[in-house]
Amino acid sequence: MGMRFEQDGIGAAALRLLAGTGSVIALLAAWEVLARAGVVSEFLLPRFSDVVGRIWEDALGGVLFVQIGLTVWRAVLGFALAGLVGIVVGVVMARNRGANWFFDPIVSIGFPSPKIAFLPVFILWFGLDDSSKVLMTVFAAVFPVIVATAAGTEGVDKYLIWSARNAGASERDILHEIVLPAALPQIMTGLQVALPISLIITIVSEMVMGGEGLGGNMIQAGRFADSLGVFAGIVQIAIAGYVLIKGMEILRRRLLAWHQETQQISTF
Amino acid sequence: MADASAAGAGGIRIANVGHTYRPPRGRPVTALEEVSLEVAENEFLALLGPSGCGKSTLLYLIGGFLPIESGGISVGGTPVAAPGPDRGVVFQHFALFPWKTVRENVLYGLEKQRLPKAEREARAAAFIEMVHLDGFEDSYPSQLSGGMKQRVAIARTLAMDPGTLLMDEPFGALDAQTRSLMHEELLAILKRTAKTVVFVTHDVQEAVLLADRVAVMTARPGRIKTVVDVADVGGAADAIRDPRFVEKVDFLWGQVRDEALAAQKGGAG
Amino acid sequence: MTAALWRYTPLFLIAAAWEGAIRAGLMDSSLLPPFSEVMAALGRLVVDPELYRHAAASLMREVAGFGLAVIVGIALGIVMAWYVPVRILVNPLVRCIYPMPKSALIPVMIMWLGLGHLAKIGLIFLGCLLPVIVSAFNAARGVDTVLIWSAQAAGATRRQILTEIVLPASLPEILAGVRTSLALSFVLLVSSEFLMAREGLGYMIAFLGEGGVYDAMFAAVLLVTGIGFAADRAYLAVARRLLVWRE
Ligand SMILES: Nc1ncnc2c1ncn2[C@@H]1O[C@H](COP(=O)(O)OP(=O)(O)OP(=O)(O)O)[C@@H](O)[C@H]1O
Ligand SMILES: [Mg+2]
Repeated sequence: MGMRFEQDGIGAAALRLLAGTGSVIALLAAWEVLARAGVVSEFLLPRFSDVVGRIWEDALGGVLFVQIGLTVWRAVLGFALAGLVGIVVGVVMARNRGANWFFDPIVSIGFPSPKIAFLPVFILWFGLDDSSKVLMTVFAAVFPVIVATAAGTEGVDKYLIWSARNAGASERDILHEIVLPAALPQIMTGLQVALPISLIITIVSEMVMGGEGLGGNMIQAGRFADSLGVFAGIVQIAIAGYVLIKGMEILRRRLLAWHQETQQISTF
Repeated sequence: MADASAAGAGGIRIANVGHTYRPPRGRPVTALEEVSLEVAENEFLALLGPSGCGKSTLLYLIGGFLPIESGGISVGGTPVAAPGPDRGVVFQHFALFPWKTVRENVLYGLEKQRLPKAEREARAAAFIEMVHLDGFEDSYPSQLSGGMKQRVAIARTLAMDPGTLLMDEPFGALDAQTRSLMHEELLAILKRTAKTVVFVTHDVQEAVLLADRVAVMTARPGRIKTVVDVADVGGAADAIRDPRFVEKVDFLWGQVRDEALAAQKGGAG
Repeated sequence: MTAALWRYTPLFLIAAAWEGAIRAGLMDSSLLPPFSEVMAALGRLVVDPELYRHAAASLMREVAGFGLAVIVGIALGIVMAWYVPVRILVNPLVRCIYPMPKSALIPVMIMWLGLGHLAKIGLIFLGCLLPVIVSAFNAARGVDTVLIWSAQAAGATRRQILTEIVLPASLPEILAGVRTSLALSFVLLVSSEFLMAREGLGYMIAFLGEGGVYDAMFAAVLLVTGIGFAADRAYLAVARRLLVWRE
């Protein structure tokens, strides 16, 4: 495909980094200039420098970390529970015909549908506190993990299993030592889809239920026409999301050093 | 190597075995029909036959991976019921664990056999060296060429020192030079620790060179067409120039060719 | 027919357990109305013109926002993959913004576009745009170089290679990415209707819940779930049509 200089050598890598950072800085600069030029009102687009100032203030007061911490905690807890439940259900589905029969219609309907529609149900059942936010998150994030785990577990090359049996492995060993590692690329993919879902759903839940946390704060700021607060919230959420999702990518690379990655994963 | 006339107590006895694959979708395929064959203890039997005639299937049945639906197979006097480390298999498609390094792949079976750590390590190193992969111990299979992967698979199975070796085209992905080196290594190992071997190959010359007897299978559904004694030829590297060797190779080649043609016709019809 | 029935039997079992548990007093009917009542409410809902007013509003927002995101996103993604300068400048931006949880855009959309249709369309469009761009970009970048070489060898122009090789070869992956975005678009639609709307299916669920009409609320939740599922199935059917050559 034409020239591909950005793939070759250290010099090219440095150049790419430069162009990359440059374009991000250019975007932020354009934001600042646009806001200062007064093309749009201060309310619709506050200056980037003011947004940074707001975040800095919140950080000095310590509020920032409490709010980010709460949101990240809810999202990560929901994600972790969804991961755990999803892997167990996925493995059981792949290995047990009865379980497969039972869960299959639930999963095939649940997987593509907008689980967030159940939010009022979770509020009705668990009230407005943390548990309903976390459980809503679990419910929304568990399906991609189930689907990916079941597909990965089912698709394990039978010769790998035979080979382990031949070496004298027990059925239990085979699950831990062969099936799960062989399915790990797909399980990781499922988790990588579930993580952004967890963040999205936690934030919506916070917005709808109000209270502490980034989502609640942003909606509150919006109500009080505090556009600086809204933009500060976006920047904070974006950074939190970036860190978590990059962390997950690094974890994948660590765990799957052996795996030849063939495809990028499409997530939210 | 042992006398090929009768299956000893430690040999493999295959009596009237058939196998039909029943895929969840699609028509059932009868891969084997009424196969009877005996391999004496410590005998080396090569199995020839056209592609798709059921050679791998027969090996999987002996290995205990597929259920025996008709007939019976016993190894060392006990009927085959499940896979076990007494029958080491080198799979046609290697079946290396992609998340384990070369060393870890070779170690896996040794760990399962609960060998002491020092011995495991020593044995793994020795067999990795034997297949000329020293220096690649910490590579993952995805970083190896086809021939290298195949050599890992061979080392992994040989390291476990099974009494029976079931090898499915184990040298198929190797270049001619490496292949000939591997032949020598295999024969040397068999000289040191005698084993019963069933060796699937497409290479007639290789079969005659290595084996005591060569069995030719018919086109699918596979049966045993002929069994030829070749113990008196082969073994040494210069055997291929021996006229008796050439004669046996020619004969077997003709047999396999007939079946390959039959398979083609059957496939077209 | 019987196979399909057997396949969905677990759902009937769950419905029966739901009904039975409430009848037996194991569950509080103020928290979960019996299945039969929810079904009755669903029956009333589907003959109520109000439902169709809400559904029409939602459908309009969904189609406009998602449709636009797909068209613009695929075009941008492929341009990014194909033209090196565009890639070098735009890709880092996309990578940087892409992981942002898209629901964070809701308050900004309210500020910018108010409480009407436009805010939801804008939200769905912006939320789905990045995932579509990224999947189209990855798909086009992942096209086997050998395919491109053989087209070059056959004398194809750059433009022909783009439309005749790159686009069809990356279509399967693009379609898979679009499917993920379709699911996201429904999440954003319903979420934004919870938070800022006077009409739409999400608004209807929230409204029924706040009014304490729980049998109708559950009916509406099941309905929205069913619509999301049906949309996905319809999408898969279309995608399969587009990919017949792949067998
Ligand atoms: N899992 C399976 N399901 C259905 N049919 C199968 C399956 N495995 C093998 N077969 C069929 O059984 C027949 C025998 O297969 P087998 O792999 O034993 O052949 P083979 O002699 O080893 O061939 P090759 O020399 O190409 O390795 C083939 O015709 C194949 O189509
Ligand atoms: Mg075979």
